[in-house]
Formats: sequence, structure tokens, C-alpha cells
Amino acid sequence: MRPKWRKGRGTVFGALSVGALMVGLLALATMIAATVLQARRLTAMDATSQAGLALSLRSVEVPGREFVPYVVAAQVDPDSAAERAGLSRGDVLVGVGGSAVSRPDEVWDALGKLGPGSSTVSWIPKPEKLWGTLRAVVHPERPGELGVTLAAVPVGSPAERAGLRPGDALISVAGLPVTGTRQAWELVVGAVRQGPQVLTLVIERGRERQELAFDPIVQGEIPFQPELWRAWGRFLTRIGDPRYPERAGLLSALVGSLLVVGVMALFAFPLGVGAAVYLEEYASQNWFTEVLQVLIANLAGMPSAVVGIFGLEIFARSWGLGRSVFAGGLTLALLVLPMTIVAAREALRTVPRWVREAAASVGATPWQVIRFHVLPYALPGIFTGIILALARALGEAAPLLLLGAFLYVTYVPQSLLDSFTIVPLQIFDWATKPQDGFAELAAAAILVLIAMHLVLNSIAIVLRNRYQRRWA
Amino acid sequence: MPASNPLSRQAGPGAPPALFRPPSGRSTKERLIRSIFLACGLLAIVITLAAAGMLAGGSVPFFQRVSLGEFLAGLKWSPLHEPSSYGVLALIADTLVITGIALLVALPLGLLSAVFLSEYANFRLRQVVKPILEILAGVPTVVYGFFALRFVTPLLQRTFLPQLQFWNGLSAGLVMGIMILPLVASLSEDVLFAVPRGLREAAYALGATKFEVTARVVVPAAFSGIGAAFILAMSRAIGETMIVALAAGRTPAWPPNPTQPMLTLTTTIVNIATGDHEATAFIWSALFALGLLLFLTTLVLNVASHLIVRRFRQRYA
Repeated sequence: MRPKWRKGRGTVFGALSVGALMVGLLALATMIAATVLQARRLTAMDATSQAGLALSLRSVEVPGREFVPYVVAAQVDPDSAAERAGLSRGDVLVGVGGSAVSRPDEVWDALGKLGPGSSTVSWIPKPEKLWGTLRAVVHPERPGELGVTLAAVPVGSPAERAGLRPGDALISVAGLPVTGTRQAWELVVGAVRQGPQVLTLVIERGRERQELAFDPIVQGEIPFQPELWRAWGRFLTRIGDPRYPERAGLLSALVGSLLVVGVMALFAFPLGVGAAVYLEEYASQNWFTEVLQVLIANLAGMPSAVVGIFGLEIFARSWGLGRSVFAGGLTLALLVLPMTIVAAREALRTVPRWVREAAASVGATPWQVIRFHVLPYALPGIFTGIILALARALGEAAPLLLLGAFLYVTYVPQSLLDSFTIVPLQIFDWATKPQDGFAELAAAAILVLIAMHLVLNSIAIVLRNRYQRRWA
Repeated sequence: MPASNPLSRQAGPGAPPALFRPPSGRSTKERLIRSIFLACGLLAIVITLAAAGMLAGGSVPFFQRVSLGEFLAGLKWSPLHEPSSYGVLALIADTLVITGIALLVALPLGLLSAVFLSEYANFRLRQVVKPILEILAGVPTVVYGFFALRFVTPLLQRTFLPQLQFWNGLSAGLVMGIMILPLVASLSEDVLFAVPRGLREAAYALGATKFEVTARVVVPAAFSGIGAAFILAMSRAIGETMIVALAAGRTPAWPPNPTQPMLTLTTTIVNIATGDHEATAFIWSALFALGLLLFLTTLVLNVASHLIVRRFRQRYA
């Protein structure tokens, strides 16, 4: 009989080993889930862009409270929903559907919570629409001191509603002294962003000081339409504007990736399969093939950064191909060539020796044996290897980063000598941008990349399971 | 990735000897085809030699100005500030610290997962999990880099390491550990599974429990193969570029401190290659010297791993 503790120890160990596998798989599942969650904001981002808006984060310095962030409409498209609602470029968004917003992220989150339909957006208009052009004039009685006065108050502006008139001099906003024309507006933004909606304004009219209640906020209805699939469709099919994340797109990177991988496939796969056929079917075992094998094995283990140095020096600089699609494809070919050779050799090796012997014994020439007997059986295995190599190449960023591929291009490469970017590098670029919205773009592009990866790998697995022959 | 998996079970003992030696002049077509395939093989060899030769040749001007001792033992890497210095010791230290963190994550988890798959899981579970591991092993590394930068670092900062910097070696290392985990698990599982049944059955016959068979017989028997898998994982971690370029930062740290930004060999290469230098600048030759160092390091590790596996196979063939 085994003592109990011996069994208990085994159970603990078994549980531990299951746990280890679970931890690994869970970490990766978390990673994918977090990416999906992050990419979710893409819909709301697209909705603001479709309403004609591009947002940008600014901040204002408030005495005693460092920097207060605010979100400004950086672009308002002509004849868009946002423009029809009365928004214009330079207006500061302070509320969306009832929630206060201080950065683009919060605007998109608010929209995400609201769902489709009209939402009430409130904003502080830019200075010209808030109170018209301000003039800095020398104080009539205290020379050497500047006074800020209203020139002409626009009709229907918050200033007019509050009863301000041309010629009024601004003394203080919410208790803070006005010292300049731009600064006066920033005081309004800073004060509103900190809470109160109605500010106390001290003005000088004639010689008389007056206190006015000033409500700088304007409201409008913007019909936002968050549409998940259309948002993704637009993300994938536009080149976009790299400055604003809600307008950026993945098209040039997708085309760049396909072109580069296409060039790579053209060079790496015929060469790799050819070398494998030579090594497996023609070469005899001698020092030459031995050396070749060792070299190929080492090339396969070469860090991708070293492959990148090679591409940069040989293809980009010596051959003068620069940062072109062609140079990128050749560099990637260098990376996947050994993988292809190894995979094709393994596939050829699974074809039993007697197949070759049987064919040869009825008079087939070596090429006929290969062409009609070995290759047909080895082909599924070779294709599996090729597809896995494609998957690897699509995700590889380091060699092309070294080659000097651009991180963002605002065009679709037209020829093989055009410069390009690829999806992984686009992700690299977006991931390092600190502004709101770019992490979401990176997450969305990652989902695209992972989807391509999964599709290619699934094809490879199906191919392997379905067509792999078991030789008795 | 099964195709390039050097420990793959399918790989036979080597290429079978050639069957055919066509008599000369029998058919020009046959000879032509043969020479086409030979050319493919030769091109592969030329490319490999060119890569190694370019690294060696390109770093000659570098080592004419910077002595090998200064390069390998120097602590300060500041090629752009006068007086410039080209010591890589700090870079190597940073690389090793990040690799060490990665291995601390990947080795125990990977080995235990492999033990589970090989000794405890039934056939059908293995059939499902193995392809998943292969797919995970191929997830693009830029994805892991994004994860380290945008999720792991903020998570650590919020929980128990508030002093962690935005760029740091710790989260890069942790995530790199997750990245090489499938590789370690898959390779170790291969060697564990290759341990002959007879050894297990003999131990069972002596009354050993499953745990004892696993821990005292199977794992020790596969020890060298597991070691080879670890070495290969280490080589992968040292050569990894995108995770560290995204998450570890671009400033060298001495002494190495994983909560601070760290600069590895690979990120230094990225820095030089993407920097705006004139075509004749001396710094380009530093690129080759660093590349050569990286290439030789991973080469030694890969060859060591390869040799260990071959010995392992011979023992149980």
C-alpha cells in the first residue's frame, strides 16, 4: 500500500501543472480581451468623425491649480452635423449628453454610453463667438496699464445674452484678474472646467464697475451615429489623417504589408523549396551538404534585428533600393528563407523511400520521380510551412523598422520602389503616441493582425490534418 | 511553429542518401533541372555567408578605433556625445536582466505546462492544446510590446509598484516571459514525450506513484532536452526587439534597475538604424559591431541547444 502523503503530493503536483498551463493561457486570453476592450472605443471615435468633428487635447494654466485639460474641436467639417449644430473650429467641448468632458477619451466614452441618436453637446465658443474680438487698449486713466475691452459683441453670443456691450472693459473673470485678450478667454475655460457653469464677471462700463452673471456655455444637438461595422469598414479602407486618431486609417499599412509579403513570397518560396528539393532529393551526404545544413540552421536562428541590419546595408544602401517595398520584401525573404527550407525538407522527408524506389524501378528519371511522385505527396506539408512563414512575415516588424520603413505614410504605395509602412509598424507608431485615441487605433490594428494570423494558422492546421498522409 | 521546430519529433536522423546519380549526357533536361536546384541551394549558402561576412566586414572600422576591451568592458554607451564612448557592458547587463525576468516567468510555467501536457493530459486534450500553443508562439511580438506598455505597466503602477516608470525593464521582461512561454512549453513537451515508455513502465512496476515517475524518472531523463529548450528560449529573448523597443525605453541604466527605463542591445541597434545620421558617420560601424555581438551570442546559444538535442536524441533513439 502507498502511504497517503505520496498520493497527496502527486495530486498537488498535478494541480500545479494544470495551473501553470492555465496561467499561461489566461495571460494570453487577458491580453486579447484587453485589446478588444480598448478597440471598442473605435466606434465612438468614428461617430465623432462622421459628425464632422476632430478633437484635440489642450490645457490651460489656472493659477494655483497647475494645468487644467480641455478638449477642443480641432476640425469642424463644412456642412457637417457638427457645423449645423453651431460648433466651429476652436470651440471647447465641456459636456456630452450630460457628462462633463475634459479630454477626447471622455467624449468618446460619453458617446459610447449614450448609444445612437441625438445627443446634447455643450461647449464654450471660441473667443470670436463668445464675446467678439477683444481689444487691448491703454487704460485711459492709468497709462502704462493695459485694459481689455470688447469691440463689437456678436449677435446671439453668450456675451450679448449676459448684457455685455461694446466698449465694456473686462476686469476679472470668476475672481481672477484679466491681463490679456487670450488670457481672458482661457480664464473662462479654466473656470468652467473646474465646476461652475455661470461665472461672475467684473466689468467697467464708463467709469462704473459692475458685476454680471455670465453663462458662456452654448448647447446644440448633434446626431451621433455609432455604427460598429461601418466604423471598422472605414478604419480599414481609408488612408486618413494621421494627426487625428478618429480620422486615421489602416489602408496604406494593409496595402504595404500585402505588397511587401508578396515580394517576399516571390523570392523566398521558390528559392527555399528549390534548396530543400536539392538537399533532400539530389545532394549526397558529404561535407558540403553538412555545411549547408549548419548554415541554414543558423540563419533560421538569426535575431530579426540582425536580418534588419543586413537589409539596411545591402538592399537599402548598397543596392540603392532605399526604404522601398522591394527592399522590404527582400529583407523579409531573408528572414523566412531558412524557415521555408526547413519546413519543405521536413515535408519531403515524410515521403517514404520506397515511393522513390518504386518510381525509379519502372524507369522514371530523377525529375520525373520528384515531379510526379514525391512533390504531390509532400505538397500539403510544404504549403503548411509556407503559410506559417507567411503568418510570421506578416507580423514581423523589427527588420523593417531597421530598414527605415516609415511609421505612417499618407498614400498607398503604387510601385515597388515607393516607400511604405506595414501593419506591425503602424501599430508600433500608434502605440507610442501619447495622445488620446492612438492606443485604441493600435488595439484595433492588433485585432486585424491577430485575425490574419489566426486565419493563416487555421488554414495551415486544416491542411496538415486533412492532407497529411500516414504511411504505414 | 512546427516547421522550424528544431526539436520536432518528425525530424529524422538526417537526409537519406541520394538515390540517383544520372549518368552524364543521359538527358540535358535532367541536368538542367538538377543545376537549377543546386543553384537554389548555393544561393542560400551565399546569402548566409554574405550576412556573416557583412557583419564582420562592417565592424572592422569600428574595432580599428575602439578596442575590444573598451567595447566589451566599457560601462558607458554614448556614441553621440563628445567625448564619445562605446562600452556595451551596461547594455549587456540590461539585456540580461530583462532576459532573466522573462526566463523566471517562462521556465517554471513552461516546464509545468509541458509536464501536464505530456504526463497528465489525455490524447484529445493534447490534440487541442498543442496547436493553440503553436498559434500563440507565433503571435507578432509588437502585440506583446503594446500589451506591456499599455496594460502591464499601468497595472503594476496601480497595484504594488507605484514607483515604476512609464518605460521600464520589468514589464518588458514579464511580457517577454509570456511570449516565450509557448515556445518553452512546446519544446519541453516534445522532449518529455520522447522519453521511452519503458522507463515509465519500469518505475511504475517498482511501485512509484505518477508524481514520482514524473519528477524522478521522466524529467531527469529529459533534462538535457529541457535544457536545450531553455537555451533556445533564452536566445529568443536576447534577440527580441519589438517588446523592448516599445516598453523598455531608450535610456541605458547602470546599475541595472528594472523599474527604470532600460536599453538592450536590440534597442540600441534600432536607435542607431532609425536615427538621423549621415551616411559616412562612424556610428554606422557601431551598428555592425552590435549586430555581430548579438549574432555571435545567439549563434553560440543556438548551436549549444542544437548539440544538446542531438545527444538527447541519440541516447533514446
